[in-house]
Amino acid sequence: MREAVMTAVSLPRSPSRGPLNATHWLALLFLAVALVFAAVAWTTGNGFYLRLATEALIFAGLAMSVDLLLGYTGLLSLGQALYFGLGAYVSALVLRDGAPSFWLATGAALAAGALAGLVGGVIANRVKGVYFALITFGLAQVVAKAVYNTRELGASDGIIGIPQIRVTLGPLALDTADPLSFFLFVLGLTMAVYAGLAYLMDAPFGRTLAAIRANEKRVPFLGFNAWGHKLAVYVLAACVAALSGALYPMLRGFVSPELLFFHTSGNAVVTVIVGGVGTLIGPIAGSVLLTALRSVVGSWTEHHLIVVGVIFMLSVIFLRKGLVGALLPWLERRAAARARHGRRSAP
Amino acid sequence: MTKATLPATAALALLGLAGGASAAEPIRIGVVTPLSGTYAPIGQQVRWGLELALKEVNAAGGIMGRPVELLFEDEEANPAVATQKAEKLFQVNKVDFLTGTVNSGSTLAVGQLAERNDRLIATTVSFSDAITTDKCSPNVFRVNARAGQQSAALAEWLAKDKPQAKVYYLGPDYEMGRSTVAAFKAAAEKTGAQSTGEVFAPLDSKDYSQYFGQLRAARPAVLYTSTAGNDTVRLLTQMSEYGLLRNLTVVGASGTVTAQNIGAIGKAADGFVTGVGYSAELDTPENKAFVAAFRKAYDAAPDLYGADSYGLLAFYKAAVEKAGTTETAKLREAMRGLQWPTPQGLKTMRAGDHQAIQDMYAVRVTEGRFTIVGTVPGEAAIGPDLCARF
Repeated sequence: MREAVMTAVSLPRSPSRGPLNATHWLALLFLAVALVFAAVAWTTGNGFYLRLATEALIFAGLAMSVDLLLGYTGLLSLGQALYFGLGAYVSALVLRDGAPSFWLATGAALAAGALAGLVGGVIANRVKGVYFALITFGLAQVVAKAVYNTRELGASDGIIGIPQIRVTLGPLALDTADPLSFFLFVLGLTMAVYAGLAYLMDAPFGRTLAAIRANEKRVPFLGFNAWGHKLAVYVLAACVAALSGALYPMLRGFVSPELLFFHTSGNAVVTVIVGGVGTLIGPIAGSVLLTALRSVVGSWTEHHLIVVGVIFMLSVIFLRKGLVGALLPWLERRAAARARHGRRSAP
Repeated sequence: MTKATLPATAALALLGLAGGASAAEPIRIGVVTPLSGTYAPIGQQVRWGLELALKEVNAAGGIMGRPVELLFEDEEANPAVATQKAEKLFQVNKVDFLTGTVNSGSTLAVGQLAERNDRLIATTVSFSDAITTDKCSPNVFRVNARAGQQSAALAEWLAKDKPQAKVYYLGPDYEMGRSTVAAFKAAAEKTGAQSTGEVFAPLDSKDYSQYFGQLRAARPAVLYTSTAGNDTVRLLTQMSEYGLLRNLTVVGASGTVTAQNIGAIGKAADGFVTGVGYSAELDTPENKAFVAAFRKAYDAAPDLYGADSYGLLAFYKAAVEKAGTTETAKLREAMRGLQWPTPQGLKTMRAGDHQAIQDMYAVRVTEGRFTIVGTVPGEAAIGPDLCARF
């Protein structure tokens, strides 16, 4: 039955599907590497690298949200920082002025993200292609400028003094000030978001999005509402971005309007393209790679932007499907070979 | 388990660092400053000022016999980058002190990080009053003059040169522009000036003539403006074309007319007056020696950022030698009330809010050069201590 659905909506480019396909193996590999890294960093007492990695995972969430739109639905958003920054500001205000509660802060950020995503989605989805990119860019600029000039939100100085909090998970509790436990927590959260989104993209909802990407005009003939699906995925992406944004002030203790600027949106798009469009795990890996690279190269030369720019160009020219996109065919061939081998050796 | 071990190891590491600091071990100072992007010219001055001072301090035997090292990181004028880089300097490079942040958001965010890492920082550039007033931090010091000191100096000069002047205000319509105008208006009214009206033009306005009717009708003797960059170029050249600059003194914020846009404004800039904490024209032996050394090393003139960054190392050296250690709590005590030599003369660090007290200057543009037309003593420009946290 599953096979039948897949062939019915047969699509141009999409990694192989199945209960545990190559992309999911990559995700498990990533998780394993992350855990080894955490163990090494913890035993050597390296709080800085744990916190840097936590930041990379937070921006990985933003990149996944861009990938949902760009990779799965074919919509280029140049303003995803709007929802990331919104989540960060809402979380910061709740933590500082409301209660220092993780669940309250993320809940409020998610609600704000969904609401703003609904409004932004209705506006942006009126147009397609390059106009969609421009509208998302414009929306984010408008909100960024408004925040930049609002004294109650700290204007250009941003908001500092956001307390470090305890996150309660049933019987467990952890401190955001402790680099290791907060890293593990954000890692768990990121992988959970990844798993949820990957499942959803394999479900009929994701197939419909892929159909929209392939040919939007034909989707209504198959009995699906293209506009409704586009709005839904836009709101979903806004929620993912807002959730990641909500974690930022917990890690860094401040928010500033720069989080809403094009710089942040643009970086997320670069991350998705370097990591691998339409893979979800690619943006995560890309975020970790680029964050590490910026930190190392930045200490080494002030011309780090040139280095990162050249790497971006090289990856666009030589790894057109990104890092993960280049790895996948190889992994899939190996898996297929193993499967054939297994069948032959079976009695 | 984790929670118990981590602070313990951190404490051990700190102890090891403090105990193992031999005489030859260098004192490390982290510098998080914009080395790329729009603010790179400011970061360049910060770097030049610090490196020149470093050469002189190390040639004279370092600080307490220990050589000094500077570690630079590019903050891209973005607080999100600045905190990350500062954390690296604190935790990986184990710097003893940190400086260099330019935009106020970065200084505030890095200041909070310094509190959480129990280190001290100083800014040599950020103007925002918040840093040493309502958002002051026990771990943050400011060795340069803040926005309030600049407007107080200008208001003092105005009261002396044009007592009871009628003043009109024209600012760019964004938060910083409005708050700058509000701060100067308050300072000028306190020294007796009369306000005749105010107007805010959008950023990047192409045509200011629409405001000239209002301006003329108010019949001011003085116009205050806080525009910057190309906005100032258009404002002043258009005013000059309309003949509005006759019998009108134009004063403004320190960023209104700068070395970057003075060439484009041309003759229309003549007569413009502003309040600043430094001018390369300062006629003191300390400043002349500093300017000569700076020119020799970099073939460029220092501006206030270069001068204040140069003075920072003297501040740190004096504090460490007074405290006899680089330990945070003792060093903070030593910095409070400290007096140290700078190109501008002796500065005093006010204990109550960690804001440097220094003489301020009113400078006027004369044929494309800034000349000093008045000096306001530090005590008159500093204003009340508004820091409530310590």
